Amino acid sequence: MAGMIAPPPIEVRQLRKVFRQAASGQPVVAIDRLDLDIAPREVVAIVGQTGCGKSTFFDLMIGLEQPTAGSIRIGGKTPYGDFDHFRGQIATVFQQDRLLPWRSALDNVKLPLELIRLSDDEQRKRSLFWLERLGLGNFAAAYPHELSGGMRQRVAIARAFVVQPNILLADEAFGHLDEVTAAELRETFLTLARESGSTAILITHQLEEAIGVGDRIIVLGRSARLLADIDVARWNKRDFAMLREAIQATLQNNERDFRLIRA
Amino acid sequence: MHPEEHREAASLEGKFSRQAVVSLLIFAALWEALSYLAPTLGIPAFAIPSFARIGQSLLTITPIDVLVTLARVIGALILSFVLGVALAVLMYQSQNLESYLHPMVRLFMAVPVISWILFAVLWFRGVEFRIAFVLIAVCGPVFLIDALDAMRNVPRELRRMVRSFRPTRLQYFAKLMFPAIVPNLITSWKINLSLAIRVVTIAELVGAVTGIGHQLAVAQELFSVADVFAWTLVLVALLFLLEAVVARVEERMLRWRA
Repeated sequence: MAGMIAPPPIEVRQLRKVFRQAASGQPVVAIDRLDLDIAPREVVAIVGQTGCGKSTFFDLMIGLEQPTAGSIRIGGKTPYGDFDHFRGQIATVFQQDRLLPWRSALDNVKLPLELIRLSDDEQRKRSLFWLERLGLGNFAAAYPHELSGGMRQRVAIARAFVVQPNILLADEAFGHLDEVTAAELRETFLTLARESGSTAILITHQLEEAIGVGDRIIVLGRSARLLADIDVARWNKRDFAMLREAIQATLQNNERDFRLIRA
Repeated sequence: MHPEEHREAASLEGKFSRQAVVSLLIFAALWEALSYLAPTLGIPAFAIPSFARIGQSLLTITPIDVLVTLARVIGALILSFVLGVALAVLMYQSQNLESYLHPMVRLFMAVPVISWILFAVLWFRGVEFRIAFVLIAVCGPVFLIDALDAMRNVPRELRRMVRSFRPTRLQYFAKLMFPAIVPNLITSWKINLSLAIRVVTIAELVGAVTGIGHQLAVAQELFSVADVFAWTLVLVALLFLLEAVVARVEERMLRWRA
């Protein structure tokens, strides 16, 4: 279990990602020389405006894209180059639930376990356990179209936790839900992430979510330029409104705020 | 489906089947009337046989010919399906291969059935091989193109989700691609079933000594319209039976649909 052995540290060095526009062929710099270290078991919220390169960073983290330059190393290995090494170690929760419509809730949760070839019994046992933890024990046989949006996202969360990953990544995972459901699921996700001992990285454009969730908030400007790196524990809850305003100002000006760079 | 919509669909279905029965009865009555009136209209009696005469012909249907045609259709469709989907998978994975094969497949699809039959007769000796060749040449490309298009249309979000869990190539197809394209493949089966029944009949008509097509050729040589009608009825019944089987499979495999 991820909680027993510390997950490997994440080192991002001079990370750069350039895309070519399909129509014009012009290069677009999505990420420009990003440096970042994420310690094992840290819960990090990455916040930034739409189009700042957050989702590109997410794709690079899970190894679906290759960096143009620089590197991401997780315990010394790269998610893109050592793709298979991370099977069962990195799990993701996406913006939409992305459940397979032809699979029941139980079978959707089982999917990552099938890929790491666990025995059928173990797959079933673990998947049912996580569905029950997410409050969906009675809906194991239900198909996605029979579930509400919140329930479907719970299944997606169960699917991420079921492999007991070292690293959990969530990309705007609660943004499409109503406020009450989103807050509830965010809390559940956070509790489970802390219990499991995984390193959790949440990508969001909502400041409230970032402040409420992360031990640490990384604020990215255009081309994923690091604008702020905030140790939330150093802030008193009473000052969260001030913190929010400071982050907002940083984002608006696209300027680094050295008061918000942790030591 | 909403209960209201369900009721509407059910009532439409009921209406359709009532209309179908009525239209078939009208056709049967007109046919029967014509068969009695034919001699007075100057039409030879054998040209429009009565239902009693067609019934007699139905009693002489040889089941072995029906089974032979059925076996040819099913065998060739299974082969076409396997070849078509396998090629689609290869083309999906290699853009280079696709750019070479796609025009060729389109060309194959444009060739008329009768040309394939003539090629088969000119190129090959064995009757079974000829028929299988024609059926595969006609049905294989349909499976291929449908499977390829369906794979390309699997939502990017689902592809990324599955890839994020790092499947092997085989797992990627087994867990995502194949289940995702099942609805399209079932539609291809429906299209190819009626296509294969028609093609196999023509192929048997031209170059076989067994099967429904061959029996139709014999009936034509004997000027027996009643036999032609009887064998045609068998063909239609065979198609309906096969479609019912596919519909059953569809119902089972797509029960996850809303």
